[in-house]
Amino acid sequence: MAVFMQSLISGILIGGVYALIGIGLTLIFGVMRVINFAHGDILMVGMYLTYIIFTMLGIDPFVSVLITFPLMFLFGGFLQKVFINRVLNALAQNQILLTIGLGLIMSNTVMLIFTSDYKILTTTYSSSTIQVGGGVSVSTPLLISFLITSAITAALYWFLLKTDTGQAIRATAQDRDAAQLMGINVKRMSIIAFGLGAALAGTAGALISPTYYIFPQVGGVFTLKAFVITVLGGMGSVVGATLGGILIGVTESMSAVYISSGWKDVIVFVLFLLVLLFKPSGLMGKSRT
Amino acid sequence: MNKTILMPIVVLVVLGGLLAIPKFVDSPYALHMMILLFMSVMMGQSWNILGGYAGQHSVGHAAYFGVGAYTTMMLMHTKQIAPWYGVWAGIALVVVVALIIGSICFRLRGPYFVLASIAVAEILRLSAINLTTLTNGAEGILATELPAFKIGGNIITDFATKVPFYYIGLFLVALTIAVTYVVQHSKLGYFFQAIREDQDAAHSLGISISLYKNIALVISAVLTSLAGSFYGIYVGFVDPPTVLGLDVSVQIMLICIIGGMGTLWGPVLGSLVLVPLSEALRSNMITEALVKVGMVNAESKIGIFLKENLSHAHVLLYGILVVVVILFMPDGLMGFIKKLAKRRKQEAV
Repeated sequence: MAVFMQSLISGILIGGVYALIGIGLTLIFGVMRVINFAHGDILMVGMYLTYIIFTMLGIDPFVSVLITFPLMFLFGGFLQKVFINRVLNALAQNQILLTIGLGLIMSNTVMLIFTSDYKILTTTYSSSTIQVGGGVSVSTPLLISFLITSAITAALYWFLLKTDTGQAIRATAQDRDAAQLMGINVKRMSIIAFGLGAALAGTAGALISPTYYIFPQVGGVFTLKAFVITVLGGMGSVVGATLGGILIGVTESMSAVYISSGWKDVIVFVLFLLVLLFKPSGLMGKSRT
Repeated sequence: MNKTILMPIVVLVVLGGLLAIPKFVDSPYALHMMILLFMSVMMGQSWNILGGYAGQHSVGHAAYFGVGAYTTMMLMHTKQIAPWYGVWAGIALVVVVALIIGSICFRLRGPYFVLASIAVAEILRLSAINLTTLTNGAEGILATELPAFKIGGNIITDFATKVPFYYIGLFLVALTIAVTYVVQHSKLGYFFQAIREDQDAAHSLGISISLYKNIALVISAVLTSLAGSFYGIYVGFVDPPTVLGLDVSVQIMLICIIGGMGTLWGPVLGSLVLVPLSEALRSNMITEALVKVGMVNAESKIGIFLKENLSHAHVLLYGILVVVVILFMPDGLMGFIKKLAKRRKQEAV
């Protein structure tokens, strides 16, 4: 039972970070109908940014989120304005290829600068754990990152539901043309949405940097995971992505414990195919038109 | 001269030239480059049938490439079965895999199809890592000893030089292009293009969508598997990332997209651009050229940095090329050339 609780809790904790990655992707898809294949690479940029801030300025990775978030927001806005904006009305495959190309550029530029060596960001609490009771212990960095994730997610919900800009973003996601007719600056909403998506991915990168290896190709895994999460939750649904993230986190940690850690990603992908086949609209998604 | 007469003549002349190359060129490096070029054309052209003509943009073609390469190599390594028999086992397996993938993925459209095709290829890659007894896991399979190829007791070749590989590659490329040509000019090709242009309209005209998508997939997968087997035999080594990784799928697509999708010569053009460029980067030719021209000092910090790192940058070049092509010539080089030709014609009139 302790093993079960242990894997459930660590699944939920890592799921929180996955949710952050998924929400970013789903926001971008919702507003622009573009699937961002560079999402994991944006996360990787966030990881390296955190690494630089940590090694050069000595700022704790969890504190540096305050710097990473706005920087990544600007980076995302730049990507949208310069590249993505030009293919908004292009064929889906061209959009996908463009983002794949951007991802390749990011990962290989980072590789040129930092080489492909694995970097480790060691903090004083990197390997420490907290006893919860009942034989269950929780990794400290995972717990802190989960708390930060929850705070960010809560703030994001508030932003999307209560502020004018947030409502404008949701309106754009619901119907781009109608939103434009209502006087919403759709182009600006797109930039904000892509900026937010990138900021969330970058923040997720910052939050996992104390517990993950940092290397230029780390993004690919997270891009694929982000897809699984958003499809599971329903493309474009923020609530769905939150749930999907937690669900994937738990599935992974359960299958790592009860099946084998080598096969856990296979199980996630099989789950993904099953969702695509039998409920392509996802958990919270409305049926596609 | 009439285009219908000119084209076959050009093709025959080029083919004759290619057949004669090993007689005059004995530099192994030059032959190696040509073999890489053949491999690239095969990969791009096979993707073209599904992606270019039928409009199903699979980003999971590494699945077929890898299954072909792995089957041939596994049979050769563990059962000592000569690759020219193993290839058929690879093809048979790939057809089965393709039909399974087709039945799953073709129910989905657009981005969902892309995602599903990636997921399937990733499942195969992870399986190749985990099924260590079969595939030797992440270490990969090393099998460089090829048995001599005999017909009726006479040794035709013992694969000691690159020349036999050159001719095999040339044959396979000719085959792939011929298949594409036949498909393009047959009813099948028109069905594929009808599905690409408007799936619903094609359906309402009585074209069985799932049947023809699966046919396109099987043709494409079999040719990709041949390319994979050829790769395995030529290089003598396969491991999960190099034959089943997402990078492979992207590279396969890229050849076609840069050259021009849905055109017979697009993948050839794409390969002619990509292979020399990435080879020049990989072998540090560009840095050396920059040093020779005097733009960069070999001893300076930049020179050393470029020398050490630019050889890893060929993937960066792929990325930049994709972005440029998508933004400025979405129909690839072929489309770009056609547009230029059209403009010139209009100006002449």
